[in-house]
Amino acid sequence: MRITPRPAVALLSLTLAAAALAGCSEEAAGDKTATDAGGCKPADVKLVGQVRNESNPYEASWLAGGDAFAKSVGLTQERLTYGGDSTKQQEQISQILAKGDKCLVLNVLPNGDSDTAPIVKGADKAGAYLVTQWNKPADLKPADYKTWVSHITYNGVESGQQIGDALATAIGGSGGIIALQGVLDTAAAKDRFAGLQASLKKNPGVTLLDQQAANFSRAEALTVTKTLLTKHGDKVKAIWAANDDMALGALEALQQAGLSGKVAVAGIDAVPDAVKAVNDGTMTATVSSDGTWQGGIGLAIGFCVATGKLKVADIAAANRAFFAKQFLVTKANAADFSQPKTTASDFECGNVFNRVAGPLT
Amino acid sequence: MSVAEMPALEVRGLVKHYPGVKALDGVDLVVRQHEVLGLAGENGAGKSTLLKALVGLVTPDAGEIYVRGEAVKLRSVVEAANHGIGMVFQEQSLVPNLTAAENILLGSEGASVRRGLYRWDVMRRLAQEQLDKIGSKIDPLARTDSLSFADRQMVEIAKVLRIEQRSQHPPVIILDEPTSVLESKEIDTLFAQIRRLREFASVVFVSHRLDEVLDVCDRVTVLRSGQSVGEVAAAGAVPRELHRMMIGSTGSDDHYHENAASVVGSEQPRLSVRGLSGKSFRGIDLDVAAGEIVSIVGVHGSGREDVCRALFGAEPATAGEIRMDGRKIDLRSTRAACAAGIGYVPAERKIEGMVGPMSVADNMTLTKQKARCAGPFVAPAKQASLVDRWIERLSIRTPTRDTAIQRLSGGNQQKVVLARWLVGGDIKLLLLDHPTRGLDIGARSEVYRLMRELAASGVATVLLADSLEEAIGMADRILVMNDGRVVTEVACPAGGKPSPLDLVKEMV
Amino acid sequence: MFAALSPQFRSLGNAQNIMDAAAVLAVVTCGITFVLMMGSIDLSSAGVMGASALTVSLLVANNRNDNDLGLLGIAVAVLLGCAFGCLSGLALVLLKVPSFMATLGVSAIGLGVATLMFAGVQPNITDAMLKGWAIDRFLGLSYLTWIAVACILVGWLIQRYTRLGRYAYAIGGAEEVLALSGVKVKPYKVAVFALAGAFYGLGGVMVTSQLGAGLVQAGNGYDFSAITAAVVGGTLLTGGRGGVLHSAVGVLLVMVLTNGLVQVGVSPYWQGGVEGLIVVAAVAAAVIPQRRRNQVVK
Repeated sequence: MRITPRPAVALLSLTLAAAALAGCSEEAAGDKTATDAGGCKPADVKLVGQVRNESNPYEASWLAGGDAFAKSVGLTQERLTYGGDSTKQQEQISQILAKGDKCLVLNVLPNGDSDTAPIVKGADKAGAYLVTQWNKPADLKPADYKTWVSHITYNGVESGQQIGDALATAIGGSGGIIALQGVLDTAAAKDRFAGLQASLKKNPGVTLLDQQAANFSRAEALTVTKTLLTKHGDKVKAIWAANDDMALGALEALQQAGLSGKVAVAGIDAVPDAVKAVNDGTMTATVSSDGTWQGGIGLAIGFCVATGKLKVADIAAANRAFFAKQFLVTKANAADFSQPKTTASDFECGNVFNRVAGPLT
Repeated sequence: MSVAEMPALEVRGLVKHYPGVKALDGVDLVVRQHEVLGLAGENGAGKSTLLKALVGLVTPDAGEIYVRGEAVKLRSVVEAANHGIGMVFQEQSLVPNLTAAENILLGSEGASVRRGLYRWDVMRRLAQEQLDKIGSKIDPLARTDSLSFADRQMVEIAKVLRIEQRSQHPPVIILDEPTSVLESKEIDTLFAQIRRLREFASVVFVSHRLDEVLDVCDRVTVLRSGQSVGEVAAAGAVPRELHRMMIGSTGSDDHYHENAASVVGSEQPRLSVRGLSGKSFRGIDLDVAAGEIVSIVGVHGSGREDVCRALFGAEPATAGEIRMDGRKIDLRSTRAACAAGIGYVPAERKIEGMVGPMSVADNMTLTKQKARCAGPFVAPAKQASLVDRWIERLSIRTPTRDTAIQRLSGGNQQKVVLARWLVGGDIKLLLLDHPTRGLDIGARSEVYRLMRELAASGVATVLLADSLEEAIGMADRILVMNDGRVVTEVACPAGGKPSPLDLVKEMV
Repeated sequence: MFAALSPQFRSLGNAQNIMDAAAVLAVVTCGITFVLMMGSIDLSSAGVMGASALTVSLLVANNRNDNDLGLLGIAVAVLLGCAFGCLSGLALVLLKVPSFMATLGVSAIGLGVATLMFAGVQPNITDAMLKGWAIDRFLGLSYLTWIAVACILVGWLIQRYTRLGRYAYAIGGAEEVLALSGVKVKPYKVAVFALAGAFYGLGGVMVTSQLGAGLVQAGNGYDFSAITAAVVGGTLLTGGRGGVLHSAVGVLLVMVLTNGLVQVGVSPYWQGGVEGLIVVAAVAAAVIPQRRRNQVVK
């Protein structure tokens, strides 16, 4: 190839040279702190937990779990909330990455599926250890990245079915139920409702009288339930709700209709009020993903990799993206869930994958 | 001089500058007690600025205002009212969705509102008292927007009279163009009212119709270029005398510039309409030659406005054809009309004719984008030189070409609207729907001259005139419409004009 | 129409249900009507209701602290709403922030205050009186519904018999005329926003009573539902027309619509769209008398 000294070519080669230099210096820095090998001193690790907001009990418990873990290793967690605003979430992530900490551990709740890719790319470029939860597009896989350690989510079909079954048992296997759906175009709403349908197939005595969207909202669930109660009267034996907020709204509606205790109600998420209602017997069941555990575990996995106690290459493929175990909360075990608490042993590097219920497919 | 003989209101040497304009240049004015004083002047002579200064809406730069011999500063409408000065505004100033009673008492509710609570019975009574004073039979609790124009004016007068409550003296009531929206019967009622007001108040009456001014007033003060140029006792005065004072020289008798009328050629007509029919008109045939002015006259409801709009494609025509220079054009599109060289100056200037907050320049070039643009972008220099040329040619009085058009006087606004059709240079036919409505005599005269010039340059014109006199004065030919049809056509050459009576016979 | 399609729709029980469900929206709409009448717009209800919901739930007997102020707590929450309204009004008249932006900002402030008070743990109310409002009935309707009826009545009296109400109406009709008549408009504007804020504050209290807990999201969606209800009832966004009674009718129409769609069994996947269509159609029908040739709609 003959080299022609044209300006554009000169510019291109300069850029390439600069890139190569930058690459060199990065590698040099990497050698010092051994990014891939994860040779950070525990005291140098910076822990960041990011959720939408602190104004709902579930995400508040998540941050509390993160704090608990950080305390157990002598660090503090930086708490970030983005108010459900995708743009703000990306800004926060890029700001924190721009600081250039080499031992950064991120436990992130992406706002939606589409928000995950830029977060992953940013973290990968900066060499930050990242654990994401709940939302990611199916074709984006942690296995294709070096520092995106894991993605954790929960099987909505399973939880929807679990509470469906619990309701069926509670009403003696036969009778009418109504279903309160979440925001219809979300995966969580779809999966959970699919779980209910599976449960209905299993319990032929139970009939679905009506299903309405109440958008995961307590207030909307209240109104919708009241309307459905007037429509179907005492044919309603149970109310299936795709989350606890709606279940609690349904409970209020029952109370206002003078039906407290006569209709079984179940939800998902195990927010404190729901757990208390289950404990008191006004609610049949809920499902816990254990928010405090979620807040701690993401940081724990990242911490173990950063400090070299776990090597990304050694983590089983099934543990890079998995369904975590969830717990059906009934009157029998509600007391165990009434206070958000963490078990220190859950976060030991040998145990961080103990709650894997199955690979994410 | 005893208090009883002091002028109710006196203005000495009032000065007010605006950027680029000296609106008031040392005006003097005396309003005696119990008299009706007329105020005359061309648009831009400073009438409205003076009136605003009298009710505290404008703070003068220099000069004094005396109320009954006492120097006063009027900084707000309330202060003016406290000194007994109130004004009925030209644009009616009532809240349309309130009752007449609330409007009358607005801002001075007195006993009808106690601690913020309305007492409707008291309010009704107080309002009724005001209405009784002027002998009006309006129901005080009627919603204002359900009243006729004339009734609303009564409400305004009743409202202004409330200022009696604030000052101990007989009030000074200013009426700014009160007749412009009234019909002649209503005007008679208003004048009777004004004569009645004189019993317990002084009145300042402003109108651009000089015969009205002389009819109702005791005395007339004439303003010109921000100065008082003369004073006339109304008895025995004639409009022409006032007009001469207003414009500074005797207006020529040739008001319609008839000697400038162009000679119409007899070749193929520029506009040719055959069998045009629409919702309110049927089978209209109309030819207009280049350089010819054809006026359509008819009573309200004769359909002439709709014909005019239909020619521009703004009103759907159901049948018939329109040809320009022999070429047929689409009946339903204003774009097609524009492209064929037809320009339309609507009657509702403020609603349909201009974009108020936009500059003179932008308004002038609104339709002829080509003239000021380079590709899709406005070319400022190109626009500027073009606009300046027309501002000069039509002697449009504006501080700069970038002034918002709504700040100009009515006559100058109309010139800008006309200029819009001229800047392109390819205008062939102008449709003028009441082009002189609301203009004073000087501005009218200029619009007439402009029409003559355009005709001389070969533009064909269809004119819906403001008055029969205007139609007769301007047109070469007159079409009389009655109930949607053209009933007759009258030749109207310079020196051989028909009399208005001949036309009226056909119109009704 | 709904009555023909669903026998339950006609039942007395459902009528009660609709009235009960309409209570909060009616109170919020009552407040927003005054602002709309004035030709301004108010988007602050969501935030104000959230702040008032948290305030009341922390001041009456609850599971978070030992407060038990009862009615006084409710009064404080309503006053807080009033203060937020004042803030919107002041931003509008002093800082000349358009009401659209000012109230949006106040809504954000309200949500922020609510989140601070929320502090991670949802306050559940144990106050028997406040909880009872949603449950106890008088003549077949819950106390909340009677409160809403009282609010509409008070709103109507304000609109008809007070200077504040009449001037709000006049400001929407022709603000400049008031100024020309020597009326100082600004204090009335602030007062109208404060009045509306008080209604939102009460709305937040009522939501808390219904849900038995103070939620930051207590006012979610009420801002736009209230505007919709007011407009469906015939209040113009440009001001100067409509009123509290119009809005009450609008609220009932909107509630009958949502309730009817559920009763008839329209699939939830279709409801949103159908509802929107009916609302646009209703509003279009309402403004037909005003439509004139060449009128511009913004």
